[in-house]
Amino acid sequence: MSVDMAVDVGELNLRGPVVAASGTFGYGTEVPLLERRALGAIVSKGIFLRPRIGNPPPRIVETPSGMLNAIGLQGPGVEALIRDYCPQWAAWDFPVLVNINGESAVEYGELAARLDGVPGVAGFEINVSCPNVEQGGMYFGNDPRAAAEVTAAVRRRTRLPIWVKLTPMVSDIAVIARACESAGADGLSAVNTFVGMSIDLHTYRPRLAFRTGGLSGPAIRPMAVHLAHQAARAVRIPVIGVGGIVSADDALEFLVAGCAAVQVGTATFADPRAIARVHDGIAAHLEARGLSSLAELPRYLPRD
Amino acid sequence: MLELTAIVAEVRHPTAHYRVIGFHAPAIAEPVRAGQFVNVLLRPGPLLRRPFSVYSAVGGVVEIIYRPVGEGTALLADLKEGDRVSLLGPLGRPFEFHPDWDSVALVSGGLGVAPMLLAARDARDAGLRVTWVHGARTVTELSPESAGDRSVIATDDGSAGHHGSAVAAVPDGVGGVLACGPNRMLAAVAARWPDAQVAVETYMGCGTGVCLGCAVPLRAGGYDRACKEGPVYRAADVDWEALPSHLHYAAGA
Repeated sequence: MSVDMAVDVGELNLRGPVVAASGTFGYGTEVPLLERRALGAIVSKGIFLRPRIGNPPPRIVETPSGMLNAIGLQGPGVEALIRDYCPQWAAWDFPVLVNINGESAVEYGELAARLDGVPGVAGFEINVSCPNVEQGGMYFGNDPRAAAEVTAAVRRRTRLPIWVKLTPMVSDIAVIARACESAGADGLSAVNTFVGMSIDLHTYRPRLAFRTGGLSGPAIRPMAVHLAHQAARAVRIPVIGVGGIVSADDALEFLVAGCAAVQVGTATFADPRAIARVHDGIAAHLEARGLSSLAELPRYLPRD
Repeated sequence: MLELTAIVAEVRHPTAHYRVIGFHAPAIAEPVRAGQFVNVLLRPGPLLRRPFSVYSAVGGVVEIIYRPVGEGTALLADLKEGDRVSLLGPLGRPFEFHPDWDSVALVSGGLGVAPMLLAARDARDAGLRVTWVHGARTVTELSPESAGDRSVIATDDGSAGHHGSAVAAVPDGVGGVLACGPNRMLAAVAARWPDAQVAVETYMGCGTGVCLGCAVPLRAGGYDRACKEGPVYRAADVDWEALPSHLHYAAGA
């Protein structure tokens, strides 16, 4: 394929626009049948300073064209991440961003400081939008001042690229997007899961033990395209579109709507080759339209 | 582990209660061991794959056994010979047969019979005598097929075999115990044989260890993944109080 798929997302040069979304790709070592050639970058499973055991089961439930999850950011903590995974990432030919989480702005800053300079860590995605933890998480992403405070706390501790993953559970995503941009973010991932709930009619109780979960999958895609578009209109930094992408056409919707790159998440669960399929499909679309590079794709992005 | 497109080789309805479907998939049929599963993608169909224990693996055909209870299994029931599906497998950790056993009891409840034909095959390959113990709520829900040197049947309502649970019907003096069935039944197995190996049932997202959706609570604390460290566990290692005992599949369209 002769199409140039490379894209600059801030200072990160990606060889393709398709990024593996946090929480759907483990630490990059677990996904079977991995086709690395197609990966623009991966965002690792969310990490805290300390190990977390996660939420009790049931943690997932399938819903029409989507799934609810309440995993609860199960993870080994930052020291195990540095010991077990970063050395592998350092040998890879695409960047790995670490999705970082904390219960306070100080904890986010400490995580960034600990990981800054560790070989294999190419940047950070600040998670201020996880709906499945009791402390922190989505709270920071709901409030422009809190989102800016967390972003600034990370910015002070690292010169690596910082993306902020935005929650869709806000009345005006442009306000949050601008607050993160002003606080030093290099990019915005839009959007994380929508909060949802499903009731079991055998037990008359919520299906998820955590009661609520984050909705992902094609069910959220039109809403995610709209929110990513709104965020992209509001800021000058690149927006990475995420939400329900299964096919190349889905990804192209986000790209045309103003996103510099996209993340593929839930689709990987059903199809371990989803990212390669989306990448190749975008290239085929560009070629069919006579475009020689992704940069030539027409965009629909009137500025606010 | 492989992802491959498999052609439906056969469809059987051994009883009104159970259906069996076979996929031509030699690359999975050859390496698969009892307790392992395949993750089936149906298109058109629900977003996620559906995990099924491998029921048998003969002549390059991987069989699964199921009851049509939800959206995924209803679509399975519509498949005909020659149709194609994507299979991911073999997945998970199989049953292990210890060298100091001379015999093994295969204990199943209802659809928990799913891994047991393969378990009987693997046990015989290991030189073990096999006691087949199978239970169901009532006679019409008993599995149609069995394998083993001797067979014990139990029904909750007493309509066939022992009146009571499969666990209570297991004779004394068996060597190893391998069990599969409702999680509540497996908790009873754990109480009688802490070292039994049990194949648990959970909701599953990816089946490959990535999503952390199939969490199994452990007595030692924390969770691990039914799809990767399981689905076979030492019975006493699972925190049965914290493992959901009933799963209802009703994803909707």
